[in-house]
Amino acid sequence: MSTTSDDPHREAIRRTLARSAGEDPDASSIAEATLDTWRRVADRLAPVIGERGVDALFGRSLHVTGKAFSWLAAMAGNDKNGAARLAGLKACLAAQEPAAAAEASHALLVNFTELLANLIGASLTERLLAPVWLPPSPESERETAP
Amino acid sequence: MSNKVAIHRLATGVPGLDAILGGGLPEYSFNLIIGPPGSGKTTLAHQIMFALATPERPALYFTVLGEPPLKMLRYQQQYSFFDSDKIDESIRFVNLSDDVSTGDFDQVLARITREIEALSPALVFVDSFRSVMLEAQRHSEGAIGLQQFIQQLGMLLTGWQATTFLVGEYSSEIEAHPVFTVADGMLSLDQSVHRNSMVRKIRILKMRGQATRPGIHTFRISSAGIDIFPATVVLDDTGAAAVADRSPRGETRLTMGVPRLDDMLGGGLPAGYSLLVAGPSGSGKTILATAFLVEGVRRGEPGVIVAFEQTPSQSRNRTIDTLVRAGQIGLINIRAPDLSIDEIARHLIDLIQKMKATRVVIDSLSGFELAVAPTFREDFRESLFRMVAVLAGLGVTVLLTSELEDRYTDLRFSPYGSAFLTDAIIVQRYIEIESRLKRVMAVVKVRASAHGDELRQFEITDEGIVIGDPVLGFEGILGGRPRRTPAAGADRGEPR
Repeated sequence: MSTTSDDPHREAIRRTLARSAGEDPDASSIAEATLDTWRRVADRLAPVIGERGVDALFGRSLHVTGKAFSWLAAMAGNDKNGAARLAGLKACLAAQEPAAAAEASHALLVNFTELLANLIGASLTERLLAPVWLPPSPESERETAP
Repeated sequence: MSNKVAIHRLATGVPGLDAILGGGLPEYSFNLIIGPPGSGKTTLAHQIMFALATPERPALYFTVLGEPPLKMLRYQQQYSFFDSDKIDESIRFVNLSDDVSTGDFDQVLARITREIEALSPALVFVDSFRSVMLEAQRHSEGAIGLQQFIQQLGMLLTGWQATTFLVGEYSSEIEAHPVFTVADGMLSLDQSVHRNSMVRKIRILKMRGQATRPGIHTFRISSAGIDIFPATVVLDDTGAAAVADRSPRGETRLTMGVPRLDDMLGGGLPAGYSLLVAGPSGSGKTILATAFLVEGVRRGEPGVIVAFEQTPSQSRNRTIDTLVRAGQIGLINIRAPDLSIDEIARHLIDLIQKMKATRVVIDSLSGFELAVAPTFREDFRESLFRMVAVLAGLGVTVLLTSELEDRYTDLRFSPYGSAFLTDAIIVQRYIEIESRLKRVMAVVKVRASAHGDELRQFEITDEGIVIGDPVLGFEGILGGRPRRTPAAGADRGEPR
């Protein structure tokens, strides 16, 4: 798996998270931004693959991301699901240093989209999730918006 | 002017399906796609959907418990018809499992209604409907019964002017099921296993308002999706236009490309006839067939060969190979397992029409029979008869070769009793003369035509078949042990 920062997809996730967290965010803003972005992802996917499908993928992404962020692994281990798991994630992120929280949040969404792409292909993933990601900059928003 | 409603028929985009449906899918019809697991129901539904869905004619695909939608998307996109660009633009997937699992059909119906109102789809798919029914049994206390649910759904969808497909693992035996009565069309898919071969089959059990092609049709699933091979029907409306100028059969004669053979046939092979060339292994059947095609090319009559015996790159058939590469002869050399005669027939008819071929060679019937799936062998003669009849309908002249077991106790022309279905027969035999193996050939039959009756010796040289003089002075040649006839003098006066 490529980890280059110029991967447009990873960049889109980073940009979306950063912009929705605002300028110089603290950990709780990052947690809020993560959940907000996540909800928009789930809203796009749930009609297509079902809430259970989304939930299963989310569980798996938490598990995979937990390998790099041990504090996240502790939370992922709980066999809660749905809303309870999201609340747990939010609390968990808010308790971290902002930099670590941002990194984990980014990694989680990257893992999730890569897992999805792995299952249903990059083009379909892109097709389904494109509306979630914010365009590169406000000026070019008009050109890249679908 | 007629005031009858004109039913618009949609082209399904599945090769062969429109033909067996009787001209396409009636718009706003309520259809069932049924069959056991793995029979290709979801693939068929997807293929129809991707072909028909456009931004102006959007499709809504409801998935229910059955197959997890993630997996469905994962596997369906392996087919070339799956076009990610159409998703969201003209195709929407909606997962109903959460609604269905509540068992509250009012809620399911409300959800379906909501989605339909939001998108106004022209095409609606529910996959799989059986899951809905199983859930219904689990929650029998549901506010409305299943039958009501189906009827309401049927009404809702027709009212919304949507062409609908319910996909499910029903077996067609449960005739009583209410959904079967409501449905306008029923497509039943199946896979039959016979010995170690598996053949996929499709039947149109019902299609209101139009004449469907009866019978069981075979289909194949490849990376391009489903490909249906309609059973050949010997009618004028096979959909296949005649290639050759339809001068009455037998009016003109084709030259065979073998010197003296045309004379034996009474002046060449009548156009539009089918000719069976029967003989034991190595007697020169393929060489005769090759000469027939080469002569056609020389005279500007393109040919097609269906080869089961040898690949054209094998040295013996270099002539054919060269012509195929030059595009002067069409070749069908199917190595796929579990073939049906209808599949070969469709490829053959397509190629004949593409090449505007007038000469067709099938080499050989023995190889053909081995190539078809065991389940079709019982009906081989029947299917072959239909195929030959369809080819005759196209106006092409057909040469079939047939392996003939060397039996010297009886006079046989074909192991299939297929001799009756051809218009002309040439038989080749080995005979022993003076401790040498010689070949002889005779024209046994040319329908409605005079023809030669001699057994002629022939040789196979680098130039091809060279027919010699009639074998005179012997008798009992076809018994394999010729004796000089008494008239030749040798045996005269021999003591008893």
